[in-house]
Amino acid sequence: MKLEKELEEMLHACAQCFYCRVCPAFQSIKWESVSPRGRVYMLKGLKNKKIKLEPKLVEDFYRCTTCGACEEQCQTALHLVELWEMARAEMVKEGLAPLPAHKKLRELALQTDNPYGEPKEKKEDWIKGYKYEENAEIMYFAGCTASFRAVELAKNTVDLFNKVGLKFAYAGKNEYCCGSPFLRTGQRDIAYGLFRKNYEEWKKRGVKTIVSSCAGCYRTILIDYPKIAKELGLEWNFEVLHTSQLVNRLIKEGKLSPQKISAKVTYHDPCHLGRHTKVYEEPREVIKAIGAELIEMERNRGESFCCGSGGGVKSQFKDLAGAMGKNRIQEAKETGAEYLVSCCPFCKYHLKQMADEQGIQLKVVDLVELVNNLAVKGEYKGEDIRCA
Amino acid sequence: MNEVKEIPSSDWDLQRYLYTRDISSAPVISLLLKRVDVIYQPRDEREVLEVLRIAKEEGATVVPRGAGTSGYGGVLPPKDITMFRLSGRKTIMIDFTRMDDFEIDEENQIIKCSPGAVWWEIEKKLNKKNLTLRVYPTSAPSSTVAGWIAQGGYGVGSLKYGGIADNVEKLRIADFSGVREVSGNELKYYLGMEGITGIITKAWVKVKEMEDMNYYGFHVSAREANKIVFAGDHYAGLFLDAGYVKLKNESFGTDMPEKDVLMVATTEKLDGDEGLGEEIWEKRFYPMRVRRLGPGLVAAENVLPADSIPAYLNRLKKMIKKPHGSEIWYSKGKKGAVLTFIPSDERKFLEYVLTWFNSIRALKTAKKMRGVPYSTGFYLSCEAKTVLGKDLDEIMKFKKVVDPKNQLNPGKVLPKGAMAWAMKITQKVIP
Repeated sequence: MKLEKELEEMLHACAQCFYCRVCPAFQSIKWESVSPRGRVYMLKGLKNKKIKLEPKLVEDFYRCTTCGACEEQCQTALHLVELWEMARAEMVKEGLAPLPAHKKLRELALQTDNPYGEPKEKKEDWIKGYKYEENAEIMYFAGCTASFRAVELAKNTVDLFNKVGLKFAYAGKNEYCCGSPFLRTGQRDIAYGLFRKNYEEWKKRGVKTIVSSCAGCYRTILIDYPKIAKELGLEWNFEVLHTSQLVNRLIKEGKLSPQKISAKVTYHDPCHLGRHTKVYEEPREVIKAIGAELIEMERNRGESFCCGSGGGVKSQFKDLAGAMGKNRIQEAKETGAEYLVSCCPFCKYHLKQMADEQGIQLKVVDLVELVNNLAVKGEYKGEDIRCA
Repeated sequence: MNEVKEIPSSDWDLQRYLYTRDISSAPVISLLLKRVDVIYQPRDEREVLEVLRIAKEEGATVVPRGAGTSGYGGVLPPKDITMFRLSGRKTIMIDFTRMDDFEIDEENQIIKCSPGAVWWEIEKKLNKKNLTLRVYPTSAPSSTVAGWIAQGGYGVGSLKYGGIADNVEKLRIADFSGVREVSGNELKYYLGMEGITGIITKAWVKVKEMEDMNYYGFHVSAREANKIVFAGDHYAGLFLDAGYVKLKNESFGTDMPEKDVLMVATTEKLDGDEGLGEEIWEKRFYPMRVRRLGPGLVAAENVLPADSIPAYLNRLKKMIKKPHGSEIWYSKGKKGAVLTFIPSDERKFLEYVLTWFNSIRALKTAKKMRGVPYSTGFYLSCEAKTVLGKDLDEIMKFKKVVDPKNQLNPGKVLPKGAMAWAMKITQKVIP
């Protein structure tokens, strides 16, 4: 297995200290083959030909949500998420990956430009009735999940934008999957193609700022896209914002004055928004700005426990994703909060499902839904996201 | 091999490979090791006894394992050689990942822990009850209670409360004849014994009330540090020599003044630099960050009387030609555990082997200065007499009684087996 020199050096820099035991997959499964240090040792073993690359090994390697909890605790400050993703890309090259569920996502995306396999024309259905521009400096990037499965998130976001008179563009059927599911699962080639399509669209429309309400899209556009652009020799000069940052900015600038609400809220840091991009405070500031009482879970910010749905885990390993999600829901329940707020449609859907499965009365909502429905409209309708 | 369906276990080759290691990466010595045959993860004491029953029935050897965060090889399975032949005995590993619960006895300030309980998880729960650990290792975010007890050693808080051995109230031990609870003088048969006399299934460890702690930094020599550290009733003392500060700066990207520095954690008021003290305190769990610089690391760890430490550090400076540095956690009894780091690229075989020789030279130097190795484990089992002193004979007799067929973690702690022999020769050969 080949790895770039810098990544290969990580294998030797790893102290095997096991501070990465916080890994949600290891906490659920308890075997070293799914632990981050086990994966590093595995890669070292493959490199030194002490072990063979085999399907079972690859499966365990994919039982990781790439949540970055390992990287946060790493004694030697290794860029582990990058290592996992690049190692997965090598497994794809060796023909032992992608795993079946991830392969299916690829096939669907190749046909429809989204991993849900929905017809392209349907991507803009949700925005009917809302005001938006064809061309503007700000581009709202709804993302595939909010466009096809969690439309309430997209609707609430643009509803809020309309209320504050924010001029923004939306690419509709010309908005393509950001490529996150493919970058996370080692299928880099398809992500490059999707990048190029989105990039050209944004350039054509004179976009300067891209706003996403999906933590996964936000991470991909903020971190992965500039690297891809550099590799492809393209200029990258976009500002990238997550909706939580924009809403916070609007409140601070006095352009949005939500009414105060009386509610106990706990906040789940999505891995892609928190650990990956260090957006910890803005969502909390918004929650406080609307007067809600924020009760932190024991593990929060950099120590937040992954919901279990990222990195291709939910699509391939449902039981594992369920175990992690239930763990997080229990933690949220212990706070005594009425609302569990997140900033990611993936987290929201999965955590809601886990709360329902356990019969736990917890309103799982996105931050934008909370602000738009409760603090702006004055009531929360409890409209649920629609999931396949 | 008998299958015990209800106990989580694995004999998958990859898992066997992954469990046959600790944090060390000793060159050549891997020739003396084998892969474990099966790993069991018991969930309670009953299942530990069941694994021991299987081991007895099959004549297998048993290696207990906490988090595998030590570098002395206590959890490594050596090739079982008797009469110059491989014995063919199977090796069972007992991994305590699933036995990680603990209870807090607030009134008596004692924690009752399962072997796999993780120190820092305990500390977080203790803090909610206004209690705190008296001592903990610098690997506390991942290391386990029984792991540290079975290896022995010093850490944070040792200046006031001594080593982990001084803070264990009682142990519950499983062996081939059943379960026993031991305390007082009998504890010596188990503390630092790596499970060769029995497997720890419960440990009662002393804790204390939380106190307002101050952290001070002093730019002083090792000699001056001794005076400050042992002058008051301080909780913890950590000395970093200039070489180590330089390595830390390189690996953390910080710019601490590159000179000797002492940190004291104390409830007393001292005339030191609080910012500096806090900075060192906050990084106490990250001694191995310097591994990035190799990438790779060779370490030496010896316990010396405090008054020998300045001379010992000077000898190391002259002896080790590569960039290196030491940190010292002081302990009650006017001594200090000196941990020396030498970043070294393990891919450069010859250079790496030669760097390892420095570790052996450091040990020989420490012994000449009334020092002892920090632990025995597998690599330094030849040093049993130095570490255990007069207790060694008694422990060897006890081992024969409780484990007549030498099934419990053979090759560890006691000066027997191929590793002890090889290390003795190596020490003689290396100048």
